[in-house]
Amino acid sequence: MDFHAALGWGLPVGIGLAAIGSGIGLGGIGNGAMQAIGRQPEATGKIQLAMIIIAALAEALTIYAFVTMFLLQGKISG
Amino acid sequence: MGLEFLTRVRRTTLWVTAIAALWSATYTTPRLGLAVALGAAWSLVNLFLIEKLVVGLTGPDRGTPPALKRIWLALSGMVALFGAGAVLLSTLPPIGAMAGFMLPLATIVLKAASLLVLGSRLWPRVLRAGPRALGVALVIAVALWAGASLVTRVIANQGTTPPAAHEPRAPGAQPQAAPGHDAPAGTETHAPGAAEGGHAAADEGPQKFANVITVLSRAFPQAEWAHFLHQYEVVIFSLFIAFLVCLVAWLASRRAKLIPSGLQNAVEALVESLNDFIVGILGPKFGPRYVPFLGTLFIYILAMNLFGLIPFMDSPTSNLNVTVGLALVVFVYSQYTGIRELGVVGYLDHLAGNPRTPLSWGLVPLMLPIHVMGELAKPISLSCRLFGNIFGEDMLLVAFVTLGITTLSFANLPIGLPLQLPFMFLALLTSTLQALVFTVLSTIYLLLMLPHDDHEHEGEGQHAH
Repeated sequence: MDFHAALGWGLPVGIGLAAIGSGIGLGGIGNGAMQAIGRQPEATGKIQLAMIIIAALAEALTIYAFVTMFLLQGKISG
Repeated sequence: MGLEFLTRVRRTTLWVTAIAALWSATYTTPRLGLAVALGAAWSLVNLFLIEKLVVGLTGPDRGTPPALKRIWLALSGMVALFGAGAVLLSTLPPIGAMAGFMLPLATIVLKAASLLVLGSRLWPRVLRAGPRALGVALVIAVALWAGASLVTRVIANQGTTPPAAHEPRAPGAQPQAAPGHDAPAGTETHAPGAAEGGHAAADEGPQKFANVITVLSRAFPQAEWAHFLHQYEVVIFSLFIAFLVCLVAWLASRRAKLIPSGLQNAVEALVESLNDFIVGILGPKFGPRYVPFLGTLFIYILAMNLFGLIPFMDSPTSNLNVTVGLALVVFVYSQYTGIRELGVVGYLDHLAGNPRTPLSWGLVPLMLPIHVMGELAKPISLSCRLFGNIFGEDMLLVAFVTLGITTLSFANLPIGLPLQLPFMFLALLTSTLQALVFTVLSTIYLLLMLPHDDHEHEGEGQHAH
C-alpha cells in the first residue's frame, strides 16, 4: 500500500472514528442535561449554558479531524 | 396582492414573451424563439393551475363538489403539464425553454419589488429633489453597464482559457463549466494564478463558491489590482463587515429616543440580552467592564458567519487566518486581564495552580507546564472550531450544489436542483451557535483569569442556606 492509498483510506475512516467518539460524547451530554432539566426545570438556563459549552468541546474533536482531512486532502491525488 | 395582481402579471408576461420570442427567433434561430414562447406558455399555464388549486382550497366555496372537481382538474392538469415540460426540454433548445419558464417568475418578482419600492417612504424623497433623482438614475445605469460588461468578460475569459492546459492533473474533475452564480468556482479560478505563474499552488485545495472578488479576478486575469484583491479578499470582506456593523450601530444610535422603535429597538434588545448574558456569567462586579469586548466579538463573528450565505459574498471566518486572529486577540486579552487583576505574582501563582500546602508546592513542576500548555491550547481550539464549522458548512453547501447540478446534467441545463436549501437553514443554525460558543468560551477563559475568591464565598453562602 503506497502513501496515497493509505491517505485515501485513512482520512475518511479517521473522520468517521472521530465522529463516532463525538457522537457518543454528545449523547452522554444531552442525556445528562435533559435529566438535569427534568429534575430541576427552574435551572434550565444555567444547565443549557453548560451543556452548550461542553457540547462544543466534544464536537471540536470531530472538527479537528475534519480540519486535518482538509489539510491532507490535496496530497491524496499527489 | 390578490388575483388582480396575477391578471396583471399574466398580461405583462404575454407582451414580454411575444417580444422576447420574436427577438430571439429573428436574431438567433426560429427554434429558440419557439422554445422561449412555449416555455413561457408552460409557465403561465402552471401559474394558472396553481391559482385554481389555491382558490379551490381556500376560496369561499371550499369543500363543495364543484370546488373539489376543480382541485382534481388542476392536479391532473399539473401532472400532464410536467410531462409536457419534459418533452419540451428534450426536443427544443433547453436554454430557450428555461428562459421562457423564468419569464413569468421574473415578472412577478419585479412587479412585487416595484410595489414595495413605490409604497415605501424612500421613493417620494428620492423623487422630490431633481438632482437626487438624476443621481439615482445615473447610479443604476452605471451599475447595469458595469455588470453587463463584467458578465461578458467572465464568459469570454471562460471560453478562451482551456482548463486542461494548465491543469493536467484532473481535467474532468470540475462540474461542467456551468455559468450562473450557483455554480461553485471551477478550475477557472486557477486561470489568474496560472497566467502569472507560480501562484497556482496558493489556489489549491477545495473550491468554494465564487464571490464578487473571484468574479472580478476572473474577468481581469491579467490586471494587477484584481490579483491584489483576490489575494486580500478575506481582509477586504472582514473590513467591509466591520464597516457594516459600525454603520448599523451609528444608524441605530443616531436619533436615540427614550422610547425606542424600529432599528434602535432591535439593537437595544440585542445589546441588552448580551449584557445580561455576560454579566450573568462574570458577575456584577467584573461583568460590565468586559461586555463591550465580548459583545462585539459575538456580533462581529455572527455577521461574518452569516455573510457567506449572501450570494456573491464570502464568510471570512471560513479562512483559518481570520479565526486565528480572533482567537489570538482573546488569548492576549485574557492573559493581560490575568496579569492586571492578579498582579505578576498572582498570575504566576495562578499558573502554578495556587500552591498553599507542601504537597501542592511539590507538584508545581508538574502543574506549571500543564497550565501553560492548557493556556496555549485555548486559542488553537477556539480558532480551529470556528474555522472547521464555518468552512465545513460552506463545503457542505458546495457539495450539494454540485450534486444538484449533476442530477440535471443529462439535460445540459444552465441550472441545477436546489438541493442545498435545507442545509442553508442548518448553516443559519451553526452560524449562530458557533458565534455563541466562541463568545461563551472567551467569557469562561476571562472568568478563569479573574480573582474568584468572592465567587466561592458566595457559592458557600448559597450552599449554607
